[in-house]
Amino acid sequence: MLSFEPYGNPTYFALLGVALLPLMIGLLYGKRSRLYETLISIFFLVLTFGGPKWTQGVALIVYVLYEVALTWGYAVYRKQKNSGPVFYLLVILAIIPLTLVKVTPAVENGQGSLIGFMGISYLTFRAVQTIMETRDGSLKNYQVMTFLQFMLFFPTISSGPIDRYRRFEHDYRTVPDREKYLGMVQKGIRYIFVGFLYKFIIAYYLGTLLMPKLLLMAMHSRGGFLDLSWPVLGYMYAWSADLYFDFAGYSLFAVGTSYIMGIETPMNFKQPWRSPNIKDFWNRWHITLSFWFRDFIYMRLVFWFMKHKVFKSPTTTANVTYIINMLVMGFWHGVTWYYIAYGLFHGCALVINDAWLRYKKKHRESIPHNWLTQGFAIFLTANLVCFSFLLFSGLFNTLWFK
Amino acid sequence: MTKRLLRIFGPLILAAILVFAVLAMPMKLGFSHVSAERERQAAVSLSPNVLRGKHIKQEALKDGYVPFFGSSEWSRIDPMHPSVLAKKYHRSYRPFLLGARGSQSLTQYFVMQNIQNELRNKKAVFVISPQWFVKDGTRKDAFGFYYSQLQTTEWLTHFRRDAIDRYAAKRLLQMPVAKSDHFIYAALQRVAAGKKLTDFQRFYLQTRKNMLTQEDQFFSGIDLPSQNLNRVNQQAKQLPTHYSYSALDSLGGRLGKAATNDNHFQISNKFYHQGLEKELKTGHLKNFQKHLSYTESPEFADFQLCLDQFARLNTNVLFIIPPVNARWQKYTGLSATMLKQFDQKIHYQLQSQGFNNIVDLSDKGNVPYFMTDTIHLGWRGWLAVDRRVNPFLSKQQPQPHYTMNDKFYSTTWQQLPPSQLAQYQQTNK
Repeated sequence: MLSFEPYGNPTYFALLGVALLPLMIGLLYGKRSRLYETLISIFFLVLTFGGPKWTQGVALIVYVLYEVALTWGYAVYRKQKNSGPVFYLLVILAIIPLTLVKVTPAVENGQGSLIGFMGISYLTFRAVQTIMETRDGSLKNYQVMTFLQFMLFFPTISSGPIDRYRRFEHDYRTVPDREKYLGMVQKGIRYIFVGFLYKFIIAYYLGTLLMPKLLLMAMHSRGGFLDLSWPVLGYMYAWSADLYFDFAGYSLFAVGTSYIMGIETPMNFKQPWRSPNIKDFWNRWHITLSFWFRDFIYMRLVFWFMKHKVFKSPTTTANVTYIINMLVMGFWHGVTWYYIAYGLFHGCALVINDAWLRYKKKHRESIPHNWLTQGFAIFLTANLVCFSFLLFSGLFNTLWFK
Repeated sequence: MTKRLLRIFGPLILAAILVFAVLAMPMKLGFSHVSAERERQAAVSLSPNVLRGKHIKQEALKDGYVPFFGSSEWSRIDPMHPSVLAKKYHRSYRPFLLGARGSQSLTQYFVMQNIQNELRNKKAVFVISPQWFVKDGTRKDAFGFYYSQLQTTEWLTHFRRDAIDRYAAKRLLQMPVAKSDHFIYAALQRVAAGKKLTDFQRFYLQTRKNMLTQEDQFFSGIDLPSQNLNRVNQQAKQLPTHYSYSALDSLGGRLGKAATNDNHFQISNKFYHQGLEKELKTGHLKNFQKHLSYTESPEFADFQLCLDQFARLNTNVLFIIPPVNARWQKYTGLSATMLKQFDQKIHYQLQSQGFNNIVDLSDKGNVPYFMTDTIHLGWRGWLAVDRRVNPFLSKQQPQPHYTMNDKFYSTTWQQLPPSQLAQYQQTNK
């Protein structure tokens, strides 16, 4: 039985090309065949979750049925009533499987959970968002089949980007005109090829050839202050660059494939290394995740705090929410001290960043703003981010406790 | 629309055609020269990519390197290591170390498949580790790690329909890694059943072989590890300018003594502190090898593959049988009788088929500083190896005469209890 990592090897791309060809011809002639799209979705899902990974496949099916029951049930309920506790209950129920999967390794000595499968986080984000928008009333005509397509859209199933139900539905129900579609195909092909460069050349060099050497050197240079050494610094940059090129490469594959399928899945990265501050960084790095957190955690918490007048000043509200928001993101990555430290680090960085921006606004005349300060800001931001990724990488865990 | 489509897909199609054409090309490209420096590096790198590949090995063996087949002992680089002595004393040969931790006979058989011309009528050195001959033979994951599709396809394009290759195919089919290519797996099934390959299989294997050969040429030299070459150069500095066995022997004693002074096993301090000390504290290791046996194992048949391959190519081979550190052996309870029986069994398999160049060091486990740790040769051990390897490789040797016998593939032989060896020899004369 064949089994693939999504976008993992040339054979996968060859199969993808063959499978997408009829779909492409259809779209060029203004036709979208739901049946064909469903069939190739199932085909690629079986390739990803079948064979030796069949337990994950079973977990996926059970999980999706569970989330369908929740979202569908809530959509029906919401047409008649709108009670707060019911809504909270539904959200909690929707995130319970993900919570179990994330907590299990921490309490079971690193053992994975049985109900886990690759991409459960990203499916949970989509389901929770559907429930929240149903509550808001902005999502009115929930449909089970569309929801299934949205959840199981194979190009983005394993690691995003995280699309929105209504945006996806709009693309899915329409066929782009020929001129527009040709533009999308052109973009899609380009994205996939840039992805090849990022993931299979640059990230391969960094992750497979360079990083193991730096790790070995860092382990041999232990003994100094906090076991720090020059190789640790090298590892920090290599790891950060590898994370970017690997993930951005993957995202380009996912977005490129979506475009060829006539779906404009949003981009995940927008030149993150040129951000002049942390706030801007989060507008450019893993965008669909940070916007999801912004819309469904940060904003909601701020509104809740303001509505219940928990804090007097809006600044305090924002600061507390930043920290909570980033801590949740840290926990989401996994229940280990370094992920949580990473979340806390970014929470604090956002608070400090906000304070600085306020101060700068007040003293606009006395603070210089030119290419030099801009360059310094970019340099500082990039290095802070790299340091946070070093925390995130767990290298300190290896250096100190292994 | 056609024009636009062509603009989008033209470059893609062209790129695909070009890549495929370059990879599937049956001939070598011009820029395949391997520099002397790269050969020096590769010969001691112990890199799995080199072992799995072809091009670098092939070029080096053409340039006077001699294949040294073995496993983890090669990484024990001290001043008496064969690579260091050959370099320091400007020997007429240079060892090309093949094998690393976990590589055993079956891996070596496939390694030989794409350096056949470089082995034919030439010499080789082969270290037989008794530890390979455990109950289950080679570990499936270790075999998988060193498995090379390139070597397998090459073998499948020149295999013979005899007991030897049938056994090799059967053995390979037992390894999970054989399933890594569906078509190769199907071809192996036919070889194991003694059938010819289909036309399609031959075409597929030929194309795949070409692609893997090109890939190997392009990529296997990238990122060769250089630390072992640096170690060889460093260690050579400790040696006296002129070779003298007695001077080297006493130097080996001195170096060994200094390097093993903090434990009573005469195990190198570095190895001892890399986890062994911790393990010893638990007490689990006392007598833990009491019931271990190296006398009944599928490895005997796997090893026969190597012997048959040498015989087919008329390669003259010097075999080395290293001992076990006697102090360690006593502690772990490993049976001396059993080791002796292993020695007799392997001797019979070698000598009855005409492999008479054997450096049997199995009784040297109690010579001080002969071993660098528990089971690996060091200082004086390497020197004892050199005393035989150097004349074997530097001087003209008489032609070997091999008389091969397929009985060594039988389960009877693999599982023959040592008590029945004498009787087996009698009845199989």
